[in-house]
Amino acid sequence: MAVINEHTKSEVKEIVLDFFSEECEVDINEITESSNIFDDLDGDSLMFLELIEIFKKKYNLNIELKTIGKYSIKHPVRTIGELIDMQMLIIEHENDILSLE
Amino acid sequence: MNHKVVVTGIDIISPLGLNVDENWKNMVAGQSGIKKISLFNANDLDTQIAGEVPPEFDEYYKKYIKKRAAKQMTRVTRMCIAATNHAIEAYQIPIHEIDKSRIAIVLGVVNTGNSSVEKGTDLSNTILKGMNNAMSAWISMEYRITGPNFTVSTACASSAYAIAIGYDFIASGNYDMVITGGADSIINPEEIKGFNNLYALSTQNSQPEKASKPFSKDRDGFVIGEGAGVVILESKSHAEKRKAKILAELMGHGISSEAYNIMSPRAEGLGMLNTMKTALSNSGLKPEKIDYINAHGTSTMLNDLYETMAIKTLFGEHSKNLHISGSKSMIGHTIGAAGAIEAAITIKSLEEGLITPTINLDVPDPELDLNYTPHKTVKKNIQYALTNSFGFGGHNASLVLKKYN
Repeated sequence: MAVINEHTKSEVKEIVLDFFSEECEVDINEITESSNIFDDLDGDSLMFLELIEIFKKKYNLNIELKTIGKYSIKHPVRTIGELIDMQMLIIEHENDILSLE
Repeated sequence: MNHKVVVTGIDIISPLGLNVDENWKNMVAGQSGIKKISLFNANDLDTQIAGEVPPEFDEYYKKYIKKRAAKQMTRVTRMCIAATNHAIEAYQIPIHEIDKSRIAIVLGVVNTGNSSVEKGTDLSNTILKGMNNAMSAWISMEYRITGPNFTVSTACASSAYAIAIGYDFIASGNYDMVITGGADSIINPEEIKGFNNLYALSTQNSQPEKASKPFSKDRDGFVIGEGAGVVILESKSHAEKRKAKILAELMGHGISSEAYNIMSPRAEGLGMLNTMKTALSNSGLKPEKIDYINAHGTSTMLNDLYETMAIKTLFGEHSKNLHISGSKSMIGHTIGAAGAIEAAITIKSLEEGLITPTINLDVPDPELDLNYTPHKTVKKNIQYALTNSFGFGGHNASLVLKKYN
């Protein structure tokens, strides 16, 4: 289990915002934690998986996509803020995220 | 009530250009878009030539498709979306002012192009890029169109079938507008080898621009092309109400099955004859009314022979008065896109009073003795035109178009 600190949180936020800005061709300054991924940014659910791959590599995470699939069915993500929170939980709990149920 | 159907928007992406105006200019000039294959190394193939969409397309589509969406599309799907968006933009179709539940999208495709030459395919987008229904789905999402969207696959007649189905949707009164057309590319080693094995493709590699030669005695098979064609259909009353620019009237169609052979057309063009006859009958026209036929004209021995025989049987003496042309001589055979591209060319011919040529018709075939508009564009005011599409599997389609006065 990784220890999450303010630095990690700000790093995750920066990666998420950069990723959405680049992929959705939206000015990074226009993306906030309340931005709706689908309605405001024209994003899609595949982006969650691509981000998880990025974080898997960066933090050397032991997490399987099917675990995240099971978790996100019960905890759907709609906004950038919710996505950042989910990524933090994944980094912190990896495959044990389901035990948070 | 049978509602009249008109055309209010068109576009073409082909080896001769990235929009309908560029294509038209090059076709009127009798240019060839056939070159040595550059999408991959074709040196070990019997056929090493094709009609590829110009490389500038890789920048062009970015004007019409967001980066994120483009990643999930094949190059072929991008062609279809770019052509659709350009048609909507260029002909000022006010999609957002129309009841979205009364708009449908029907497109023809055989191969979305997710082949070994497609770039950027990985596990994250393999399924999305391979979906044969992707192009119609993307358009529905882009414009929030809630009427039906689907693709039709009837080999080389796919997008002509799409137009025919679009006609029926509007004629029935169920829809006000249908975005029809199609896109395709089979320029990849697997399919070229497969068609070579069937002896269907030209192997005249030394002079690519001369290889596609419909109705010429020295024709030796078709040349593969690629591209997209879009034809936006609308009910006449709806188009007139919004004071739209009407490009032509779609009078009717004939679609039928040869029920004969998976590859060869029925002898003496009997299936082709029935299809054209049905199209004229459904349009309430006598054969003598037709001025021009945009032929299927593939440059294969049997198609060109049987299509000519079918035309002569149906039109009798009038067949000598007809202007016929084979657009595939310039752009190759764009497979699922061919019907829509050739319908768009026919619409331009009606609008402009110009009949584009059959290039490379250098060696007259005594059995093929009609006026195929060889070499040069002809100026002629035409009122009624027929466009033919005949596919492997015996899928036939003929569309009847009328100049809008």
